[in-house]
Amino acid sequence: MTDDVKNEEKKEGSGVSRRNFLKISGAAAAGVQIGAVAGLGLAAGKDPATHTGWQHLGDNTQFVDRQSLQMKGLPYQEVGPVRRPEEVESPFGRQRLMMKSMMRGGMGPKPERSRRSGPFRMTMPPADSFAEPLAGFYKEHPDIYELDKVRLESIMPKKREDEAKYGDYYTLINAWSASWMAGQPIKDPPEVSDFRIGNPMMGRGRKIREAIPFKSPELAAELIKKVAHHFGATMVGITRLKQEWCYNHGLRGVKDKGPYEVPKHWEYVIAFGVPHQWEQVQSNPNCGTSVDAYSRATIAARRLETFIKSLGYPARRHSPMDGYDLIAVPILVDAGLGQQGRHGIIITPETGSNFRAAFVTTNLPMKIDKPIDFGVNDFCKTCKICAEICPSASISFEKTNEKITTRGYRHWEINQASCFNFWMQSMGGMGCRLCLIACPYSRKNNWAHAMARVVDGHDPTGLVNKGLTWMQKTFFKTPEAAEYLPPPDGRFANFREPPDWLTVGKYLDMKVLKPTKGE
Amino acid sequence: MITNTVLFAFIIGAVSGLVAAGALAWAKDLRLKMTWWKWLLTISWYLLLNFSVLLAFTMMGEGETGAGLKMLLFFGIITFILGVGLARLLWMGRKKPVSS
Repeated sequence: MTDDVKNEEKKEGSGVSRRNFLKISGAAAAGVQIGAVAGLGLAAGKDPATHTGWQHLGDNTQFVDRQSLQMKGLPYQEVGPVRRPEEVESPFGRQRLMMKSMMRGGMGPKPERSRRSGPFRMTMPPADSFAEPLAGFYKEHPDIYELDKVRLESIMPKKREDEAKYGDYYTLINAWSASWMAGQPIKDPPEVSDFRIGNPMMGRGRKIREAIPFKSPELAAELIKKVAHHFGATMVGITRLKQEWCYNHGLRGVKDKGPYEVPKHWEYVIAFGVPHQWEQVQSNPNCGTSVDAYSRATIAARRLETFIKSLGYPARRHSPMDGYDLIAVPILVDAGLGQQGRHGIIITPETGSNFRAAFVTTNLPMKIDKPIDFGVNDFCKTCKICAEICPSASISFEKTNEKITTRGYRHWEINQASCFNFWMQSMGGMGCRLCLIACPYSRKNNWAHAMARVVDGHDPTGLVNKGLTWMQKTFFKTPEAAEYLPPPDGRFANFREPPDWLTVGKYLDMKVLKPTKGE
Repeated sequence: MITNTVLFAFIIGAVSGLVAAGALAWAKDLRLKMTWWKWLLTISWYLLLNFSVLLAFTMMGEGETGAGLKMLLFFGIITFILGVGLARLLWMGRKKPVSS
């Protein structure tokens, strides 16, 4: 350090010495860096986004470049005459042939239907007593005959004994496993269908078992939410079902589609849902669809319904593909999944309006959630982007919803008739969903949008709200409402251009006419 | 993706140290009379610069290229104006060179 600098620093009583500043900032930077690396390392380990598959719908799940791994020849060699596989070569196929031969051929005692009926045992008939092709196969492969004999005479009876002894230990995994085969159609009234369990191959299924008590409603809610997420639900909430949220007609499974009594066992309702796939949801209304999320929500509902039934509680799913006996939005609000927006649909803190719901009603006692408030009411007062972009002018421009009342409650309500009329005009997957994607809450979950949501939710002045809305309207170019209409008034515009994999011109060899305004 | 983020943060952290050391050297060579609040203003301005670039390119990454460019222009102008003001402030208190 030169003398002049030392002198200068001595003169600056209130200043900071360079050496000290460097030392302090260097140490602080190192501390911050180590802390950040530790935190990010934890996040990298925990973050569900790092899972491959379900969380990443799109072509980014196959992340290894196979082109560079491709072989010149085949990894297997032809060393004899090649042929297609026979059923008898597979253990599953042999099992079927064996049981068929034994049941119909009078080769031994009939197996009992109950797997917990005691030390029931079967004897393996001699190999040559089976029908073909099993007899010939066993003659050719006596070692496999012996293995199959051990399975039938020793392994299976022992398994039945083990199940009788330890089966309860595996109650949840059995319920979990059964859930993935769910999907029986609802053909009977709630007092029947809600109390029967099965899969699509089992007809109307069997009666559910006796209800297994949970340790507490809190733990019941915790388990149900966990499995719902694993079944594909992005968000889950639980509430008590109010009678007024159930339709007054058209109960599924009954012939009389008139008014009905809400079943007493519909005490609780588990509300959950999923967003649309990101790439195509932006291509609404004419290059988007509703059914991607409908399908995923429905599958999750079927699984969850079966899981609850497997534990002995009656349950009924209400989902886009299987139908609803109740209305979605108020239940989603009650269950704390989001708030209703100006466009009448739910806005969630995670995915905004990009959300499709399904439900399961049951009498399984669970801790219920409460409604949430993250500033949607105030935001919707000034934003009005959904109302401005709506091609059918179905969304209100009123400042508040104070004058809007439906079925005894004050809430936002759109003109459903004009909205539906636009659905019927749109192309592609039919429907509209413009309000759903135009909503500023329906943005990606990156740092910029996440920060905007958090800051806005904690700003009592409303300035952030106004600033964000101004930015949305100023910086982001979006077609005008009329452009979404069919020609000649519009051009079948989309909120954003569809991804290349939804673009006919790139993949299909066919002549297409691009819609143009005025034609 | 998150693994790349961790690596990115690690490198940026190391680079930040270099930036700090470089800023000190510049202040020394330019004979700026820096105080704690001038450093605070300088760091704030540098963060604003980074924020502007980060925000604009995040939007571009989302496919909103037009919005990203508009934001880069908007925040770029604000950052430029504030940068000029900050430079004038820092220059005002420059020490005179010590004659040998």
